[in-house]
Amino acid sequence: MNIYKELKELCLVPSVSGREEGIRGLIKKKIAPLADEVYIDALGNLIAVKKGSGEGASVMLCAHMDEIGFLTTFIDVDGRIRVSNVGGIGWAAASYSKVVSEKGVKGVIVPEEKVKPNDYSSSNFYIDIGAASKKEAERKVSIGEFFVVTPTVDRLLGKRICGRPLDDRIGCTVLLGIAEELFSAKNDGDIYYVFSVQEEVGCRGSKTAAFAFAPEYSLCFDVTATGDTPGCENMACRVGDGAAIKIKDSSVICHAEIVKKLVSIAEENKIKYQREILTRGGTDTSSMQLSGRGSVAGALSVPTRYIHSGVELCDLGDAEACIALGAAFVKSLSEGNR
Amino acid sequence: MANKIYDREKSLSLIKSLSLAFGPTGCEEPVVELIEKKLETLSVPFMRDRMGNIIARLRFGDIKVEGRRKIMVSAHMDEVGFMINEVDDKGYFHMDTVGGIDGSVMAGRKVLVGDGKRLTCGVIASTAIHHKKKDERSKAEKLEKLYIDIGATDRESAKQYADIGSFVAFDSEFYTFGKNRSFIKSKALDDRMGCAAMLEVIEALADTDVCGDLDVYFCFTVREEIGLSGALTAANLIRPDLALVLETTAVGDIEGASPEKRVAELGEGVCISLMDRSTIYGRAEIDFVLSLARQEGIALQVKKYVSGGNDAGSIHKSGSGVKTVALSVPTRYLHSPSCVANFEDYLAQRDIVEAIIRKSNEYFSDVTLS
Amino acid sequence: MKIREELKNKIISLCSMTSVSGFEGICEDDLVVLIGGGFDEHYKDRVGNHVFVKRCGKANAPRILVDAHYDEIGMMVTEVCDGGFLKFTNIGGIDRAILAASDVVIHGSETFDGVIASTPPHLRQGEEGDLPEIKDMIIDTGMDKEYLLKTAPVGTPVTFRKRYTELLGGQISGASFDNKACAAAAAYGIERAERERLAGDVYLVLSAYEETSHMGGISPAAFDIEPHYAMVVDVNLADCPAAPKRETVTLGEGVSISKSAATDKRLTEATERLCKDKDIAFSIIAAASSTGTNAASLNIIRAGVPVVDVGLPLKNMHTYNEVISLDDALTLRRLIEEFVCSRELAEEFGRTVELFDEEVSYGK
Repeated sequence: MNIYKELKELCLVPSVSGREEGIRGLIKKKIAPLADEVYIDALGNLIAVKKGSGEGASVMLCAHMDEIGFLTTFIDVDGRIRVSNVGGIGWAAASYSKVVSEKGVKGVIVPEEKVKPNDYSSSNFYIDIGAASKKEAERKVSIGEFFVVTPTVDRLLGKRICGRPLDDRIGCTVLLGIAEELFSAKNDGDIYYVFSVQEEVGCRGSKTAAFAFAPEYSLCFDVTATGDTPGCENMACRVGDGAAIKIKDSSVICHAEIVKKLVSIAEENKIKYQREILTRGGTDTSSMQLSGRGSVAGALSVPTRYIHSGVELCDLGDAEACIALGAAFVKSLSEGNR
Repeated sequence: MANKIYDREKSLSLIKSLSLAFGPTGCEEPVVELIEKKLETLSVPFMRDRMGNIIARLRFGDIKVEGRRKIMVSAHMDEVGFMINEVDDKGYFHMDTVGGIDGSVMAGRKVLVGDGKRLTCGVIASTAIHHKKKDERSKAEKLEKLYIDIGATDRESAKQYADIGSFVAFDSEFYTFGKNRSFIKSKALDDRMGCAAMLEVIEALADTDVCGDLDVYFCFTVREEIGLSGALTAANLIRPDLALVLETTAVGDIEGASPEKRVAELGEGVCISLMDRSTIYGRAEIDFVLSLARQEGIALQVKKYVSGGNDAGSIHKSGSGVKTVALSVPTRYLHSPSCVANFEDYLAQRDIVEAIIRKSNEYFSDVTLS
Repeated sequence: MKIREELKNKIISLCSMTSVSGFEGICEDDLVVLIGGGFDEHYKDRVGNHVFVKRCGKANAPRILVDAHYDEIGMMVTEVCDGGFLKFTNIGGIDRAILAASDVVIHGSETFDGVIASTPPHLRQGEEGDLPEIKDMIIDTGMDKEYLLKTAPVGTPVTFRKRYTELLGGQISGASFDNKACAAAAAYGIERAERERLAGDVYLVLSAYEETSHMGGISPAAFDIEPHYAMVVDVNLADCPAAPKRETVTLGEGVSISKSAATDKRLTEATERLCKDKDIAFSIIAAASSTGTNAASLNIIRAGVPVVDVGLPLKNMHTYNEVISLDDALTLRRLIEEFVCSRELAEEFGRTVELFDEEVSYGK
């Protein structure tokens, strides 16, 4: 798999939380040949199952398909579009960005004049699509349609890349990479590849998927913040230092057993890893841990700078490490590989 | 359905009796009694679950058919209120809110105090304006400063009527006003209008059989206002294919509000939500309801603001996920003793629910394709 | 007197164990030895909840769940610095005001002691009395960096050093009474209830992840057990000069029972009656919209679980010198024994929920 090409293809299909149809169609095509069954559940999660011989521990691997964006709530007399944020928009980062609607209508998102950055919120931002009147705007955009900051992905130095929404199309790419790795391997228990919906608005999709399949183990693939930029919060996690094995974020403390296991697998297989403690932000890990009967939950993260901006930055080497470690972990659950 | 003749007085009296009933979150029994009595007169089978929800069921078509569809309709019985947390030696009650109540609508209001079985009249006391300093006059009184006076003279006499842990609800009047007297004013329209709509839909559908092979569970739920959501456990029990949440939604269609913050307009129909703080609603379901409303001539408006949350939040995430629609009557001054809604919007809520149930076959045949 | 001593020992033994949220596994073996004897079965679920079952011996008996979380607040290493210092973050709610110059224990691949540094006055910045943020505090271990990187890497749990002393009037002081004092009282209460008296099968859940995870740790265990009714026992803020009276209960006057919109009104009233019948000292506290305990999570499991919230008064919550009254703990023990033996409760709340005439299936 050409990881850069794969990631770029996934990034360029806008799909905000609750409206993941676009990205889901694309991923479905890619994952279907690597699994025995593919479902879409009531909330819209895409679930691919690779059946096991039925006697081993089942595992759910999850990355979220949705991205943050804007929902059209109102069009004013002059054709300006008022929006509500979907997920955690950083308004300062979003200001004066190019945006694109689900139907491909281009525009820019800007704050009202004179509003100070500290007071930025959905109530003082609007999208300008260049419409001259309400009527003209309404021909292009309807209430309920979404916009995203225009997706881009570019290569920087080395294996570094930059763009959006790396959160969490990089996780989806990793999951596809793992599915490829595991395709020809035998597994005792079922493997559920879950591309979840609505993570950005509170980890909703992974909750129902975990409930439905009740896996024994669960592993989440997402981005994490880093402590390697000037003036940033102190954090022992750096872009390029390998797969980040999550110990804690603000929504979860990972099961000590799975952390230990991931560390020892990484060391055995000489996979570059680092330990991650994220003090702000949550992931699907928490909902998988506690849904239904619960699961032994952990997470592998791709360290990413400038998360939720238009210029998210990560290192493909870290994503490759996540693929290698994730695949090795799943293999370790099967007899003969232990 | 557009030609349907309504008994306006009958509907209003139902809304009146339900909205005036005492039922702060955690103490919904007086409302339960009213609803159970009504269900008994309709001869519709119902049950209570462990949480305290009332679940009534209507079955349509051939009950032996495999793969019958299930629809859950829900409205919550509870209302915002207070709980007493201290009785002082002068016989005054101090309290905390149950659910979200704005500080500006408490002082000086009449309340009822008790546990639902025996209720005592009281007043939320307010410092006389004469005793307030200038800067105090421009601020809502803090909750810690407010207390309830039932006329008791000391702790012991007060405790004969209520004690720590007793509930309090607003004591308010019901009336209609405005053009054609179409505006309804009462407390607890959130969500007793939804309860009334469900009862009327049950009545309308009880003796029909035009809905395909379908079970409809009407859930009168508890504990919405504190986010704990009786609707969740009802959904766990039912595991529906589709859920309809009947609610009210706070609107700002008043003088001085900028157009993008009005949310919805009273009298323009029932609101369908695209997204709120707890749920993003599915596109297929929204489109189905929008086109159904057009066909049936039912007034429906799209809620033009993202705010609030309701039982849909817990229902759609229950079990392995549930497709959910929220239909709300736009209501002004929500969570106050004087909520205002429009009777026409109530009728639209009732009618769209009935229409969805009748035409659910069309929806279900569409979604199975995806 | 014997019961009192036994309970005191049990409380101190259990509270002395290390069970920081997420690292509850550290004390697993000791825990099972201490508690397991009085029960018929024991298992641990995928999240780390420990479930101890005592059977009444009758078929189709109601399932009664008693929940006491056994995780404790603590800290975790976030960075290994030069000079033998560790940076750390809090697990659960810790007051910055108590951290400077506190004694701690680092639970790495080896266990060793340390002290949280207190910045000397001449190095301090900002106004007098300003407290540094936890991320800017450090633990002094006296070890070299290589040793720390090997034995206490990022993610290693840290606890306060625990020491138990007796105060006047039967009060004891020490760390982690929240909530293992309740857990010990519950275990002891159920252990002492004679099997013939049990009103159902009793599931004592020592739950994990209460101090974090928004009190969700209990959910998977309760989902699995599917109890008919439940009691949550947790500590409650006790009356002291700084606290508003209406948010506290008085230490030494028995247990507290919460009245709340978030718990079951009928079960709460029935528990109140039980206390009166059995002459068990209690006081009522109002917790209008939320009890701040596992009660809310338990309440909404499956088709709903009627739950009553019972508290043990405690001073200095979330410090390493919490204070409880042994008399209150004894009262709590007795209430739990009576709760699991009450026929009235089993009669009223022990019914199975069906959806009309159908059996309900919840999936896996």
